[in-house]
Amino acid sequence: MSAPFFPARRALLWCLALLLAGCTDPYLPPAITSPPNYLVVDGFLNSQGVTTIRLSHTYAIASGATPPVETKATLNIEDEAGTRYALREGVNGTYASAALTLNTTRNYRLHINTLTGKEYVSDFVPVKTTPPIDNVSWRADNAGVNIYVNAHDATGATQYYRWEYVETWEIHPIYSPSVEYVNNRMRDIVVPFPTTCWGNAPSTIVQIDKTTALSQDVVANYRVRQLPITSDRLSRQYSILVQQHALTKEEYAYWELLRKNTESIGTLFDPQPAQLTGNVHSFSTPSDLALGFIGAHSLTEQRIFIRRSDLPAAWRVPNGYESCLPPDSVFIDRPKPPTPNPAAILQSHFTGGAFLPIDPIYGQTGNLQGYTAKSRDCIDCRTRGTSVKPSFWP
Amino acid sequence: MKQAYTAFCALFFMLLCLTSAGQQAEKTISGTFSHLPFEEFARQLEAQSSYRLYFDPAAVDSLFVTLQVQEQPVATVLYQALRNTAFRFAIDDEHRVFVSAGLAPNTALPNDFFQPRADGPAVAQADEPTATGPVGRSRYVSASEYKIYDIGAGSGSGRATLAGHIREQKSGEPVIGASIYSESPNIGATTDQFGYFSLTLPAGRYDLKIRGLGIKNTRRQVVLRGDGKLEIEVEEDIVTLKEVVIEAEKDKNVSGMQMGLEKLDIKTMRQVPTAFGETDILRVIMTLPGVKTVGEGSTGLNVRGGATDQNLILFNDATIYNPAHLFGFFSAFNPDILQGVELYKSAIPAKYGGRLSSVLDITTREGNKKKFGGAGGIGPLTSRLTLEGPLVKDKSSFIISGRASYSDWILKQLSDKNFSQSSAAFYDITAHISHEINEKNSIYATGYFSSDKFRLASDTTYHYTNQNASVKWRHNFTNQFYGVLTGTYSHYDYDVTSQQNEVTASQLKYAINQEGLKADFSYFPNSRHTVDFGVSSLLYNISPGSFTPLGTASLVKTDILPQEKALESALYVSDRFDITPRFSVSAGLRYSLFQALGPRSVYQYAPGESRSEATIIDTVKYGSNKVLATYHGPEYRLSARYSLNDRSSVKASYTRTRQYIHQLSNTASVSPTDVWKLSDANIRPQIGDQVSVGYYRNFKSNTIEASVETYYKKLYDFVDYKSGATLVLNHHIETDIINAEGRAYGVEFFVKKLTGKLNGWVGYTYSRSLVQVNAATTADMVNGGNYYPSNFDKPHDFTLVGNYRFSRRFSTSLNVAYSTGRPITLPLAKYYVGNSLRVFYSDRNEYRVPDYYRVDLALNIEGSHKVKKLAHSSWTVGVYNLTGRRNPYSIYFKSVNGQIKGYQLSIFGNPIPTVTYNFKF
Repeated sequence: MSAPFFPARRALLWCLALLLAGCTDPYLPPAITSPPNYLVVDGFLNSQGVTTIRLSHTYAIASGATPPVETKATLNIEDEAGTRYALREGVNGTYASAALTLNTTRNYRLHINTLTGKEYVSDFVPVKTTPPIDNVSWRADNAGVNIYVNAHDATGATQYYRWEYVETWEIHPIYSPSVEYVNNRMRDIVVPFPTTCWGNAPSTIVQIDKTTALSQDVVANYRVRQLPITSDRLSRQYSILVQQHALTKEEYAYWELLRKNTESIGTLFDPQPAQLTGNVHSFSTPSDLALGFIGAHSLTEQRIFIRRSDLPAAWRVPNGYESCLPPDSVFIDRPKPPTPNPAAILQSHFTGGAFLPIDPIYGQTGNLQGYTAKSRDCIDCRTRGTSVKPSFWP
Repeated sequence: MKQAYTAFCALFFMLLCLTSAGQQAEKTISGTFSHLPFEEFARQLEAQSSYRLYFDPAAVDSLFVTLQVQEQPVATVLYQALRNTAFRFAIDDEHRVFVSAGLAPNTALPNDFFQPRADGPAVAQADEPTATGPVGRSRYVSASEYKIYDIGAGSGSGRATLAGHIREQKSGEPVIGASIYSESPNIGATTDQFGYFSLTLPAGRYDLKIRGLGIKNTRRQVVLRGDGKLEIEVEEDIVTLKEVVIEAEKDKNVSGMQMGLEKLDIKTMRQVPTAFGETDILRVIMTLPGVKTVGEGSTGLNVRGGATDQNLILFNDATIYNPAHLFGFFSAFNPDILQGVELYKSAIPAKYGGRLSSVLDITTREGNKKKFGGAGGIGPLTSRLTLEGPLVKDKSSFIISGRASYSDWILKQLSDKNFSQSSAAFYDITAHISHEINEKNSIYATGYFSSDKFRLASDTTYHYTNQNASVKWRHNFTNQFYGVLTGTYSHYDYDVTSQQNEVTASQLKYAINQEGLKADFSYFPNSRHTVDFGVSSLLYNISPGSFTPLGTASLVKTDILPQEKALESALYVSDRFDITPRFSVSAGLRYSLFQALGPRSVYQYAPGESRSEATIIDTVKYGSNKVLATYHGPEYRLSARYSLNDRSSVKASYTRTRQYIHQLSNTASVSPTDVWKLSDANIRPQIGDQVSVGYYRNFKSNTIEASVETYYKKLYDFVDYKSGATLVLNHHIETDIINAEGRAYGVEFFVKKLTGKLNGWVGYTYSRSLVQVNAATTADMVNGGNYYPSNFDKPHDFTLVGNYRFSRRFSTSLNVAYSTGRPITLPLAKYYVGNSLRVFYSDRNEYRVPDYYRVDLALNIEGSHKVKKLAHSSWTVGVYNLTGRRNPYSIYFKSVNGQIKGYQLSIFGNPIPTVTYNFKF
């Protein structure tokens, strides 16, 4: 029986290779290459303070740019009786109101008029008053630090919660250069690099919880943040500001769907995503969608600090600069022959400012052999945060 | 609960004890005959004895018999009767009596005797008395056509039932779905899966015609006096290139009761070109109107807008849970052992239940009862071998068939590391034994095992197996009443093993066991009624998932979902009633009962809230075999046919179905790791209603048949998924699934050309399949609670399967398939909300992938047609996807440096040539 098989063997191998390799082609249907340009409204109506709204646009999924923002729009908070509070434009598509106190017996909405004459409104929503955070606590376990929030509402009116947080941590760079390369010349440093910076990052994932299945409106130890042992944010001093929002049932549903929908990217084998818009609509053209949910509530917050000394001593917490060791060396006296040109070597390495000199290297005879050096990110902590000490920092 | 089950089983045996007695022994002749016409005398003689008289009625019309005999042998009686006449008679050893004028005929026949002649057998002339050797079989068959069978011992008035089997004369295998009918009056019957038929006719003389799949048309002449048996042996139609197959449906298209039924036999299926040269039953099914699939390499069938889990796939009555090999590129059934397949799309008979959309009934051959034989094939990826033969000649037979892939071996030969580290292998074995204990009792046993194992350039190995067994005992109580007791066992399991990293080495396992017992009875009270009734019960045991560490170094935490258990039982009765020859109705009722059994812990959820872990308000524990949920309800099966004339008819049907087991598959195509989930306290059963109407017409003396069928279907509570559903190892799966409503409608045009050099079929379907998720809570709604296209909504679908026969040895097949692209949900844009990049998706299934289009071509070369040779062989040379169109198999999106990019993967992006060698001995 082997006779009929043998001549076909080459073909078989070929077939199989084809089968397994398949063919992959880019798939860019018109719907993706010319994406819809919808207004994105991000923020909430703060019933006891400043309302900040950020306007941007949807943009192509294949784009590597930052999202286009909507500038020069007119924004107003309105109640059903027609009372209006204007928002003033800030930077980067943000708009802020004055510190307001909204009437909890009225319903409010956001009214947007863009520069191009388009008009959008959010649905009228009731005002919810967010109960205070009972406490923010933390515990260390084998995996790292867990940060929990506790809250309750004795009146049972809140039920739907959302939390955001802002983290701040100290950064201490490991190099303090004594020289700098300015105007194609190496000189002693004039303004030293900061020795401490403060990193800052907002939460990026949706954190929500509801108490509708409980007999009391109590949130007990909801974990808002988990930091692994390997997080460099814990290396000196770490602070987290947890902000609590009380949501309506509808707003909760919006955030829940947003979380499920967009925290993984759709492939054939991923869950079915669903379209999600929110409660902002075009006043004139229903087909012109606007994305985002504008709720009205107050904001309560609480900050805690975690020092390195509070953590188990056995932990080997990285400082974030592990990959910066050891420093590189830029030699100006080699290679030979031909005789090197020190100015050209320095220029080729340090022009542009992405690579910075640290200290001179001297030979045994005291001759200048070159400089130690490293990338800017290893030296200037302002690439990772701000050198301005936050007002709340102790 | 256990007691109830025991009692239930006992019921089966009670029903089977209803036996009847009665058979006659050889008799002598008694009676007084006074001036009786010879014809009538002969009839009475036959009635009293096992002898059959052959004569020319015209020659004896003036012959009258006056005689008085008392317990005399036949020969004596005849001698006395014909003593003073010009007639002589002769009796052969088969108790056949030949009466003729003049010389007594010699009962030993000349060799050329059975050449068809116009003047009939009764004028047999013994002009050349020669010694007779054994008569050739095929001649014996044609001889049977001329013989007049005298059936029964009745008075010759009233109605009588003729029953028996139609068997293939060479192999002794039953012929399934063959029809036997009389043309006037127009009464017929069809053989069942055992080749059994039962036909009730007014007493009298008939010319019964026999037509069937792959057999030569034949006829039997019978004189029916009372209930009796007729065993019919028919010749196989050897010319396989000629499309005999659909011929069986010749009359059925118009005159048959069934609508939405597609029958295919293996010979038809062999002609359809496939990617790897191997006949693929499911691939052929997909060329029929109303049957769709989401992806090229998927064997998941979507029948008339139904989901892939809504098809009951039966392999000799045992349920198959995964009918695919190698991700679905091969169907799990070895073509060599298959007899045929029946697909019920709309009017599902009452004896089937448990799935919403269709029943795919696959039957194996019985094996040659007369001699040993074998068949096999060698293809690019697989080879197969089948052996068959008698165990006891004419009584019992076996057939065993195996198939294995050698893709594993080929992969090892490839230099590419990705390939040599991959493996993909499968095999399957099927065995079937049939035994006829006696005239009234037969038993059948089938075993099936399939195994798949694959690893694709990764450390994860997938492995799955099907194990099925069924045992049937058939008992004929009387000619008009028989029953079949069937025990089935179905097992499906998979495991996913990851071993590369010993710290995370783990195994994920799933298994489903289904044991079933059922008793089906058929009763033919008269020619106008066919009554079927029965009971069935299925016991499910599911291990929904376990995740366990492998090896001592593994740190994986064991996670085992609790067992699921349930009992599904049903009772049914149906009657097919031919009100007039033109108008018949079939009414059936099936009542099914489902009980989910403990031990289980059942979560209860806050009413009016979207189910999630946060809304669990209570947990109720149920003990072993305690019923934790009961669902039951009637399933109506109604259909009617009205013949407008001989060539056209109108049919209508209404079918309700209920389904208690759901396949959880979050991916567009069926994957082997999908899980089956039983209904329970939180998951309701699915219910489906279908109304369909069709017009059927045959052209050119039944050689071309055409049909138009329309349907409207409503599905309730079928399973859909919330956004972000987790289906594997989910301890509270009900929080991730929702009950959806569906509706589907369509019109199917189908034209088949049955015979001739050019044959095949063309089908066009326009259909829609829509889903609505309008849950009480907004968060669970999909597309705002509006209807949206299902994953397999492909409105336009065109298929052409054509064969052209150049000669008896060369034929060519062409396959053209076109369909609208499958719906897809696209990420349209991205945006920032809540400090994070979000993706804006289109409405669910708002867009479509590019249209699907494929052309395949194959050339079949048969070996010489010498009847006597060692082995018959054939070659199939084909090209799959002749145009090389890159039909997308999957569309996926990947994030590359913050940019989301779309890709389409085509599995068969080039023409795929294949060569297959088949042999039969």
